[in-house]
Amino acid sequence: MDYFILLTVSGIAIGVIYGLIGMGYALIFKATSVVNFAHGEIMMLISYMAFSIASSWTLPFWGLLLVCVFISAIVGLVIERVFIRPMLGQDVFSTVMVTIGLAVMIRAVVVLIWGADPLLLPTDIGDSGVEFGMVFLYTSQLYAIGLLAFCVLGMWVFLRFSRMGVAMRATAARETTALLMGINVTHVYAIAWAIAAVIAGISGVLLGTIYGLGPDLWTQGLRAFPAVILGGLDSVFGAAISGILIGVLENLSEGYIGQGLKEISGFLVILVVLMIRPYGLFGTPEIERV
Amino acid sequence: MRTGVFEESYSELISLYRNPTQTYWTVALVLAALVAPLLLTNHLTSLVNGMMIAAVGVIGLNLLTGTTGLISFGQAGFLAVGAYTAAVLSADYGMPLWLCLPASGLMAAAFGLIVGIPSLRLKGLYLAITTMAFTIIITHIILSAEDITHGSSGISTPKPAIFGVELATDKSFYYLILAILTLAILGSANIKRSRIGRAFLAIREQDIAARVMGVPVARYKLYAFVVSSFYVGVAGALMAYHIRFVNVDSFSLVISIEAVSMIIVGGLGSTAGAVIGVVFVLGLAEVLNYVIGSMGGTLGSVSVLELKGFIYGLTIVLFLRFEPEGLMGIYREFKNRWVNWPFRY
Repeated sequence: MDYFILLTVSGIAIGVIYGLIGMGYALIFKATSVVNFAHGEIMMLISYMAFSIASSWTLPFWGLLLVCVFISAIVGLVIERVFIRPMLGQDVFSTVMVTIGLAVMIRAVVVLIWGADPLLLPTDIGDSGVEFGMVFLYTSQLYAIGLLAFCVLGMWVFLRFSRMGVAMRATAARETTALLMGINVTHVYAIAWAIAAVIAGISGVLLGTIYGLGPDLWTQGLRAFPAVILGGLDSVFGAAISGILIGVLENLSEGYIGQGLKEISGFLVILVVLMIRPYGLFGTPEIERV
Repeated sequence: MRTGVFEESYSELISLYRNPTQTYWTVALVLAALVAPLLLTNHLTSLVNGMMIAAVGVIGLNLLTGTTGLISFGQAGFLAVGAYTAAVLSADYGMPLWLCLPASGLMAAAFGLIVGIPSLRLKGLYLAITTMAFTIIITHIILSAEDITHGSSGISTPKPAIFGVELATDKSFYYLILAILTLAILGSANIKRSRIGRAFLAIREQDIAARVMGVPVARYKLYAFVVSSFYVGVAGALMAYHIRFVNVDSFSLVISIEAVSMIIVGGLGSTAGAVIGVVFVLGLAEVLNYVIGSMGGTLGSVSVLELKGFIYGLTIVLFLRFEPEGLMGIYREFKNRWVNWPFRY
């Protein structure tokens, strides 16, 4: 039983990161129907930027996070303006391929600037942690759980109450109608990219603090894919919940069934779930008219 | 003056060659391909071999993604299945090449069926990510099934030989690959002009409409998966013989993404486009190698790789931005200008 609790708790700790990353994917997909394959790379880029900032100025963790939120919003807007907006009106698949090209470019740029050696993101919370009975959690992991909760709450308030959020939901429901109702759809797209980049930035800083930085940090973006698919590509909150589910599942399968299952158990699960529910657990089925 | 190509009957519409000029050019191309290795250096022959092998696989992917519209990032997985089948059969069981090639194709086709069935209900990006999951799972299975696949240490394949004739050099292997590529191109072209190919196109345009018009969508989607993965499996087997060593590292997701970018750069849905895309993308890598190499040791080895990656990413982005029809689109435009000059159309 203790083993089970240990696996579950550490699964939740990694799962909240998947959840955060997944929220970024889902938000962009919801608003623009594009899967942003560069999401993991944007996350990596911002965590490396955080490294540069943290090593030039000594900032407390929250200060660093705030600066990174600001920077990542700008990164998101720039990427949207330079790479994504020119693709408006083209096939969705073309835009997806643009994000793949962008991903390749960001990976190269990060190694060109910061080198290929693993780095540590210096923050003031460092190795401190809290012990709950037999389970030890780093402060940064606790912050991650708190930040996921905060992001989910923030997104809910934003989508439910703010003018922009309502416009975003309208655009997601039917783009053309939203446009006819006077919503500035390109503006909505830009905001969606900015928010997704902010969430990517938060998860990047957390990942950098918990696991350190390396040129393969982007693979975390790949690892979070099962979470988004399980939740349904267009469900922001579904992504958060299924991120935790996938994290726990990965740990349990590794712990009880076999070595190495951690890498693929998420993908195996989505294969099964998609057969039964092709739009994920919380996704909206698309009604097609011919 | 020729003012255009006019098809006046259905048989003309689906004929392999639309006019005599095309036939002449095809003959010229085949002759050129036959004498090419006599003129090329060993290094270049090896490069061309790699391109032709990739082309076999990418033509297969094009049938699935370009013609049927099912986006697949499973290319690396099917390549791995094909390559490992060939490597295991030839190295551990001593099977000859002429048996290994179809066996790899069939094995990959079987896996295509396995991936295809759960994918029947999925569309668009859901499908893309599921096929990506397949690639990740396959590499994991290969790594863990050490008894058969030798795990992470990889397998060395014997020299390719066909009916007792050893194809030891790249130049002799060239002709075998050329023959298979020709078969692949003919096969793809014939599928496209047949009933099956038209069903594929109908599914790409709008699968519900296709179903309403009497196309059994599920069956044809599975056909597309099976045929495409057969191609890719054969390409994987050839790859195993070409590199003479298979290892899981050669089949990362990057290969899948590269393959999709090749059909996009070439032009979605066109067999010629697939081949041109392969030549362009692999050629670009080679040219970059040469250029950066001739610039001397001012750059570290890490940054050479990264610089190549950056330019590669940029090429994909620029192509999609400015020429979404791909190189075939440019060619068509140029041809129209040439034929109609001095008129616009």
